Amino acid sequence: MTRRVIFLAILCQLFLVAGQIFLKRGMRQTPAPQPRRRVARDLALGIALQAVWFFIWINLLEREDLSRIFPFEGLNPVLLVVVAWLVLKERVSIHTALGVLLICGGIFLASGS
Amino acid sequence: MSAVPPGPAGNALSSDSAASRRKSAAIAFILNPYVLILVGALLTTAGEVLLAKGSKLAGSAHFVGILNWLGPLAFGWTWIGIASYIVSLLSWLYVLRFIPLSIAFPLINVVHVLVPVGAHIFLNETVPPRLWAGVGLIFIGALVIARPLMKVEHKL
Repeated sequence: MTRRVIFLAILCQLFLVAGQIFLKRGMRQTPAPQPRRRVARDLALGIALQAVWFFIWINLLEREDLSRIFPFEGLNPVLLVVVAWLVLKERVSIHTALGVLLICGGIFLASGS
Repeated sequence: MSAVPPGPAGNALSSDSAASRRKSAAIAFILNPYVLILVGALLTTAGEVLLAKGSKLAGSAHFVGILNWLGPLAFGWTWIGIASYIVSLLSWLYVLRFIPLSIAFPLINVVHVLVPVGAHIFLNETVPPRLWAGVGLIFIGALVIARPLMKVEHKL
């Protein structure tokens, strides 16, 4: 696996995570309702970022074996929870942290088969 | 003082309001964001399995040229798969309205459990033991996150 593939595989997970952050920002409940245009912009950005993830991912799958690329999916839950904590200021409980580690471990284990 | 439970007299007064109560309880259950995470995961799994089915059928139909790319669209399974993806996206947006992303996203990873199980049941794909082990670990992780939240919901 070349450095380029590793770079692309990590980059595309970042697109997925960024997309989810925007979707959440668009849908979150605020004391005063958010302006519709802002909601529409966040949702459109979220879906666009997910589309970028999808195309990079498909492209990687065409060139590499799924079992070599799939472990990078295991990064998602950890990346996402860290970014949600930093950007959206969400509280992360010890249960969530532990569960996320188990899920990542499970994805790594499953992907090796 | 605790609330008085409705007695037989109360029931006789409004038998159809009991039915509408049951109906609204069912709606409340389905609109529960945690239930919808599971529904969304099932829809995504159905989408994956159906798209795989459409692709496999197209593969065995030996289309040529551009049809080789668009071939899966010739099968109804593919369209149902696409529809379930779209519905799962809508249910995901609804879920995000109520649940922090740092909880909802790890939970939606149960698709990594459901997809191998679905592929095994519906597509007759073999699942190696290591994959089952990983699937088990993901399932336990999702339970660790969801269980304390279920207790809180139950108290409410």
